[in-house]
Amino acid sequence: MSLRKLVITASAALGMVAAAGVANAERPDDGQWGATAESLRGKTVAYVPIAMGFDLTQAWAAALEHSAKEWGFELTIRDPNWDPAAGVQALSQLIDEKPDMIVVQPADPQSYVRLLKKAVDSGIRVVEINMKSLTTTDAYVGADWYGIASQGMDLLHNYCAKGNGQSGKIALISGTPTNPGMIIGMQAINDGLERYKDDLELVANQSADFDPTKAHAIATTILKQHDDLCGFYGVWDGQDVGTAAAIKEAGKTGEVVLVSSGGGRLAAACDNIANDNFTAYLSYDGRGQGRDLAAVVKMLLQDTDGTPASSPFGLYSPVTALTKDNMDGACWTIDDIKANGP
Amino acid sequence: MATSETYARWRTRLVPDHIVGEILSKNWIDNAIPVFMLVLAICVFGSIIPNFFLFGNLTDEGREFGELALVVLGMTVVLLAGGIDLSVGSTFALANFVTLALINWFDWPAGLAIGCALLAGALVGLLNGFLIGYLRLRAFLTTLVTLIVVRAIVDTLVLSYSSKVVVPLGYSAFWEYLSYEDVYGVPVAFIVAAVLAVAAHVFLTRLRPGWRILAVGGSRRSAYNAGLPVRRIVAGTYVLSGVLAAAGGVFYASRLGAATATTGVGLEVAALTAAVLGGVSLGGGRGSVTKALLGAATVLVISNSLIQMGLRSGTNTLALGVVLLVAVAIDVKWLKNRFKLLSRVYVSPAYFRLPPRPDATEGSGTPYALNDRLRDVELIGLGEIDAAEDPILDIDDHLDFGNRQGDIIRYFGPDHKRSEVYAHVGGMPLGMAFDKAGDLVCCVAGMGVYKIARETREVIKLTDETNRSWLSIIDDSRLRLPDDLDIAPDGRIYFSEATVRFDMHEWMVDALESRGNGRIICHDPRDGSTRTVLSGIRFPNGICLAHDGKSILYASTWSCTVERFWLEGEKKGRTETVIGNLPGYPDNINRASDGNYWMALVGMRTPTFDLALRKPGFRRRMVQQLAQDEWLFPQMNVGCVVKFNERGEVIDCLWDRRGVNHPMITSCNEHRGYLYLGGIVNNRVGRYRIEGADPDFTNQGSYWGSGK
Repeated sequence: MSLRKLVITASAALGMVAAAGVANAERPDDGQWGATAESLRGKTVAYVPIAMGFDLTQAWAAALEHSAKEWGFELTIRDPNWDPAAGVQALSQLIDEKPDMIVVQPADPQSYVRLLKKAVDSGIRVVEINMKSLTTTDAYVGADWYGIASQGMDLLHNYCAKGNGQSGKIALISGTPTNPGMIIGMQAINDGLERYKDDLELVANQSADFDPTKAHAIATTILKQHDDLCGFYGVWDGQDVGTAAAIKEAGKTGEVVLVSSGGGRLAAACDNIANDNFTAYLSYDGRGQGRDLAAVVKMLLQDTDGTPASSPFGLYSPVTALTKDNMDGACWTIDDIKANGP
Repeated sequence: MATSETYARWRTRLVPDHIVGEILSKNWIDNAIPVFMLVLAICVFGSIIPNFFLFGNLTDEGREFGELALVVLGMTVVLLAGGIDLSVGSTFALANFVTLALINWFDWPAGLAIGCALLAGALVGLLNGFLIGYLRLRAFLTTLVTLIVVRAIVDTLVLSYSSKVVVPLGYSAFWEYLSYEDVYGVPVAFIVAAVLAVAAHVFLTRLRPGWRILAVGGSRRSAYNAGLPVRRIVAGTYVLSGVLAAAGGVFYASRLGAATATTGVGLEVAALTAAVLGGVSLGGGRGSVTKALLGAATVLVISNSLIQMGLRSGTNTLALGVVLLVAVAIDVKWLKNRFKLLSRVYVSPAYFRLPPRPDATEGSGTPYALNDRLRDVELIGLGEIDAAEDPILDIDDHLDFGNRQGDIIRYFGPDHKRSEVYAHVGGMPLGMAFDKAGDLVCCVAGMGVYKIARETREVIKLTDETNRSWLSIIDDSRLRLPDDLDIAPDGRIYFSEATVRFDMHEWMVDALESRGNGRIICHDPRDGSTRTVLSGIRFPNGICLAHDGKSILYASTWSCTVERFWLEGEKKGRTETVIGNLPGYPDNINRASDGNYWMALVGMRTPTFDLALRKPGFRRRMVQQLAQDEWLFPQMNVGCVVKFNERGEVIDCLWDRRGVNHPMITSCNEHRGYLYLGGIVNNRVGRYRIEGADPDFTNQGSYWGSGK
């Protein structure tokens, strides 16, 4: 080893020792930080979304991972991949493993009820994210599905009302009908149709099961059947890109309105608004939800005295109606959340 | 003794090589691979997943297992009949929806709703069954179509009504019980699946409809030719599968209470994987309930472990697909190679050392010296007779013996020119004796011990089984090769079973083992019981009650000895050697009129085979590497007849030096001054005049008094 190399190696080693010394040094406590760090460190949080394969669940996971890394709690992810039976299995296993908290996104109102009760009874904190089951747990963080659908009907009314000289004909392409958000959202849509019964006429109502391919096929048919269709009400951007493609293929982009909604990821929301795929977009801000979720998780993990689900609360996401006019800076990317936090 | 020989001797004594082949010959060996797979899955995932062995929630696993097991059982029944049912996933979803709709929405009683769901499953099965069984459509395509059609129906229903279906209107105690309650921690679904599994096992293995399903799956054409209603049976399996899949759906409904479009999607792959992984053959006719359950457990372990490992979307289906592929490959390979492997390892030679052979050459001066006294025997039935192993004469001078076709042939006395089929027993009748009533009692290879009533010629089974020995792997309760018998004064029948490891047609292969696979069995007609008296004998063959009726003499063919087993007296229950070292292989023993015994030596020993017996490794290599017609067997071409006394001294010897009439002799029977000679590969019975013999001696008279 040459002298130069030796010097470099030695100084590098010294530098590392010095850095470690700094990191290990006692950091000042403001009277709260120490207790917070203490109560979060080593806790276990399990995350059971409907499926990991789409932007919202990934945004929440990224937000949770970011917090977990920052505060030293452990995050495990179980992916039922759209199968409620797999979700039930994952929850059963988790209840055995007794994490400190389960963050769950139920696929339907009923399947998880018994297990969520059991989890709460066995002392596990449970947070429901964006979908609400029939039981109430520690917290619900997510969209107000009635509010969103209601607002969506208002928007569609603006675009398509007979009173505004439009045909008033609208079509609904809904998602999986047992999805909790869909069940509540459908009530808002029905209420909206009742509210605007003079101005709007529902000419088609079909489910695409959150599948863009199905949505594409359904929208193509609807467009052929109703030449004077004014607008589509979509329920989720992931599915509505299929509808948008059908409108484009029919050469009616800009002519037929498409009101979509979703978490506001750049490629799914703003890009589609920019290229006229979506006329308007109701964003419940997945990134904000991620921040809310991480905050709720951290709050509940620090609340070591209370019994689970003893004082449930809701944290409903603010909704923004995005159009070309106001969309700048409103969208986000997963990579950004991963890099910079929610 | 050379070191290698010492090693061979100890190896034989300590290493039970023969059980490898016996295990491989068991039907349950088919379960070895699925058990291995299950253990492997548990070990692999148990070591990867930290909380794997946390079975606090066995009840939930049990529920899920119950559902899957029901579907797999149905799939198994269809596979056994040679079909395939891809529609189980859709049927499952349909039953799930029907149950929830009727209970939650229409508020029907749970029992009625479940009945309707099962009926819906049965109807789907009936549709499949009708199309496949009666219209002879391809099972794969037909059930694929039903899969799609029923799935479409379920999708439509879910789309329109699912939000109404998932929220209960009323309350049903029974439904709640089914959904949430456990019986001592065991979920109801698991109990139902267990009960149904036992029922299905009994159905498939013990009941006629189950056997018919297996018969149809094993060979559809043969089943048809045997007169089975093949179409109805095939259709029935699909109905059964539909009902079982529906039952799984009902329990799924009770567990989740959710009707979604994803219910039961991919279930057919999981069920098929489970069945095939368990060893239920895709070709039909081979499989069992145990296999199905093993497969279901493995699939459940794999899929739940993958969820627990938190692997991302799609991994589960991929893993199941790979497992299915492996299972099918193993199924094919195993089926093809199992019997090859079995035939390689089944014969398991043991070390055995015989004492030096007594000299039997002409002019050697030993009692065995070669002569030509059988040169001028009279021949009976030349060319008409086949395999007269043990000819016997009754009091009316009729000559009886068995043949290869399972008949007992009678040549009418006194001239023995005419013959008839005296009785048809089946199997291969070997050793015979008359009982006190004059009925012919006969050892039948492959069947057991039978009696032919003297007056009516009715064939009566006396026994075909004995007590099972605890440590035997092969089922030694069945009689495989009963060889010769004799009857004690109290009526008890003592018979030899030459080997428990080989069938009649490969009896000589037992010599390559020389392991002691045979036994002496006693059947007591007074209470119908049968017990093994002695075991571990090297091919016990001829058996003869001593003149005083207090002991039996039996020949141990591969040991070249004659032994005496005491039935009464102070040595009762003990065995002693009468002749310790014969120059040939002893066969049947019978009484002689002068108070001595006649015994046939079926073949003479050779130095080569005597040496081979000391080299088990040589014989093992020979068996594994050569075709059977090139194996070295004991010499069975030249034999003789000897006469010996109670002390075991050989006092006379009869040979056919030219080897024309009686080269191989398996039996010699004295009757009214003549000796009747039979051979199992001979086409005649010889009649030899015994100088100075009692002209009135008959076997029946000797045993039961001359009055009979």
